Amino acid sequence: MLSRTAEYLYWISRYMERAETNARLLDVGYRMSLFPNPNGYNNEWESVLAAAGAIQGYKNKYTIIEQKNVEDYLFFDEDNPSSVYNCILNARSNALVVRTSFTPESWLAINKTYQEILKLKNNNFNASDLPNLTEWTIEQVNLFRGSLSSLLRNDGYNFLYLGLFVERADNSARLLDVKYFVLLPKPQYVGGNIDNMQWSILLRSLSSFRAFRWAYDGDVTSTKIADFLVLNSNCPRSLSFCIQNIVKHLTNLTCSPEKVAKIYNTLKDLNIKIQEEKIESIVDFGLHEFVTQFINKISSVDTDIQREFFN
Amino acid sequence: MFNEMYQSESIIRNHYNNINEWLEKMTAKVINEKNAEAETHFRNIGITFSTNSETARERIIPFDLIPRIFTFSEWSKLEKGVIQRAKALNAFLADIYNQGEIIKANIIPKELIFKKKSFEVSMFGFTPPRSIYSPIIGIDLVRTNHNEYFVLEDNCRTPSGVSYMLENREIMMRMFPDLFHTNRVTPIDDYPTRLLQTLMSLAPIKCSTSEPVCVLLTPGPLNSAYYEHSFLSDQMGIEMVESTDLFVEGEFLYMKTVDGPKKVDVVYRRIDDDFLDPLCFNPNSVIGIPGIMDVYRTGGVNICSAPGAGIADDKAIYIYVPEMIKFYLGEQPILENVQTWSCDMDDDLNYVLDNLSDLVVKEVDGSGGYGMLIGPKSSKSSIEEFRRKLSSNPKGYIAQPLLDLSFSPTLIKNQVEGRRVDLRPFCLMGENAQLSSGGLTRVAMNEGSFVVNSSQGGGVKDTWVLAE
Repeated sequence: MLSRTAEYLYWISRYMERAETNARLLDVGYRMSLFPNPNGYNNEWESVLAAAGAIQGYKNKYTIIEQKNVEDYLFFDEDNPSSVYNCILNARSNALVVRTSFTPESWLAINKTYQEILKLKNNNFNASDLPNLTEWTIEQVNLFRGSLSSLLRNDGYNFLYLGLFVERADNSARLLDVKYFVLLPKPQYVGGNIDNMQWSILLRSLSSFRAFRWAYDGDVTSTKIADFLVLNSNCPRSLSFCIQNIVKHLTNLTCSPEKVAKIYNTLKDLNIKIQEEKIESIVDFGLHEFVTQFINKISSVDTDIQREFFN
Repeated sequence: MFNEMYQSESIIRNHYNNINEWLEKMTAKVINEKNAEAETHFRNIGITFSTNSETARERIIPFDLIPRIFTFSEWSKLEKGVIQRAKALNAFLADIYNQGEIIKANIIPKELIFKKKSFEVSMFGFTPPRSIYSPIIGIDLVRTNHNEYFVLEDNCRTPSGVSYMLENREIMMRMFPDLFHTNRVTPIDDYPTRLLQTLMSLAPIKCSTSEPVCVLLTPGPLNSAYYEHSFLSDQMGIEMVESTDLFVEGEFLYMKTVDGPKKVDVVYRRIDDDFLDPLCFNPNSVIGIPGIMDVYRTGGVNICSAPGAGIADDKAIYIYVPEMIKFYLGEQPILENVQTWSCDMDDDLNYVLDNLSDLVVKEVDGSGGYGMLIGPKSSKSSIEEFRRKLSSNPKGYIAQPLLDLSFSPTLIKNQVEGRRVDLRPFCLMGENAQLSSGGLTRVAMNEGSFVVNSSQGGGVKDTWVLAE
């Protein structure tokens, strides 16, 4: 397989995953905005921007943080390199190049999504359309992922999934981080009603609320949710699940075993640690510190993959 | 005027009877549905092209539902004629880049060849595998009568359109399967396989394997024929590469893969000569593979078509193709050339200037139906404008009579109307010389129009060759 093909496949799934994350983030903000504010404190849209890593870009363009503009910025804005619109455009232009390396269905899924978002962008939308936009995005990304199931299990398949899980690992970690450090700026809120409500919304936006209920008995507590999103390897968005899948698709690569071994060695410790760790010791160590380390690790794995395989 | 479907106003040609019955049964509703289905299909698969216009990002070519049909005997004549022409063009290239017999025989003036930009000096004295310079030739033909075809143009570099030929058939079979039960249409879907066999049969001398590695070299997604590049490489099961994927090391050409470098034997290139090798051609080119020409000339890789093959389809050389056929093959040309006045000769120029309102004037280096004058259809002012252009730069133009292109039944607003068509079949030259069992029929969708180019409102049709 051409290095460039591998690179484009990797990025297609990163973009599609990112599109989904952004849509889900907007949903988090939207749901939170429907709840009464604690003590007049209202920063859900700012946290959404923070989680999307888009605060700086947003502030270059707008002075006030308000729903309509945040939605527009994260969904349609051509100036925001990670907007859902740009993610889909990028995924599509990559797919155009490597369309013959996956199934016609995968190409169709991406190309139809592209045709539709061009139309959506031309229509003016209302703030209340947001849930539909989110739903639409998730549906489109699911179509794409579903189409991958008929792929040959070759290196192309593994690069697609490497991209997906690298992106998701990063996104999930950032979401967690934002929850702790942006949504709740005042320590006295931790463990309070607002806190739990926000955690629940986060779970809902990740389509994981029901799954959480299946996995844990009793009250919804922040420790349980953190356990669910960090360590529970049955949860398809947890950091643990992502890292295991990165390892799996990396070691399934048949090309260049020495490169695979090299990257695997840098990942091995984190993989083992995350399987053995208890949530209590992570919380003692500091969730933020843990998550920051994790994000750095994922970023260096990403750099390794790009350097070893795509150059 | 010649109509492909009607012998006279009321008599339908035999081979169109089935289609006529089918057309009579089709309601406006069905036509609308099928048109929409075809358009959605083409958009979804992404068979689009870009035009010079800034406004439309991606356009699709209008597809007409009514196929254009050739009988077996009609096609046999075309087949012989096109293959004959393709052989002569390759013989011409082999000759001018070596002994130059045709020049010594005073058949073609040497200035005409050596001064052309498309003549590639670096090819002098080098002969590619099997002496084939142009393995894929697209010949543009028009029909003016029952038994009368003219060649408008030869395309010896990288003719495009074959993906339309294949996709048009695909959509027809999908929408109207019954038509293919009642008509014996020769299949064309083996074209990509034949193309790959052709490329593999042109492996360079240093290639030791029986299964040479072929790649398709594309300029990238912005190229108007990009869909075709990815379609063909997919159908052939070969890699579609950009020049940054390739590099030269030692005596060979390699592509960068996730397993490391992989040797490439045959490059089916869909980029222009200028962008092949910055060391040899255009030093300012940012695309291109430095050193590929050295590898090529020393037999480490084959480039199809050969650099410099474009001289054979030059509009000024076109005039001499019938002479080439006689000279190299010792045969009489089966297909006719259109009478052509080349304006750099004084007698011709004077004739053209005197008869501008009856002639078609084309730029020697033009394409896509741009920059031409159709005298009988033009206003006085545009004729005068061309008179000025011709007088100031006679070398840049040729003139031809306006041919009465045949009409083919075409659905216009759900009514069957006659529209003018041309034809581009594709000839493969490798171990064997063969013609695609069909081609691309382009149709001028505007009433009375002679211009079939997609950039100027042309559409396409499925082209059938009936089995014997």
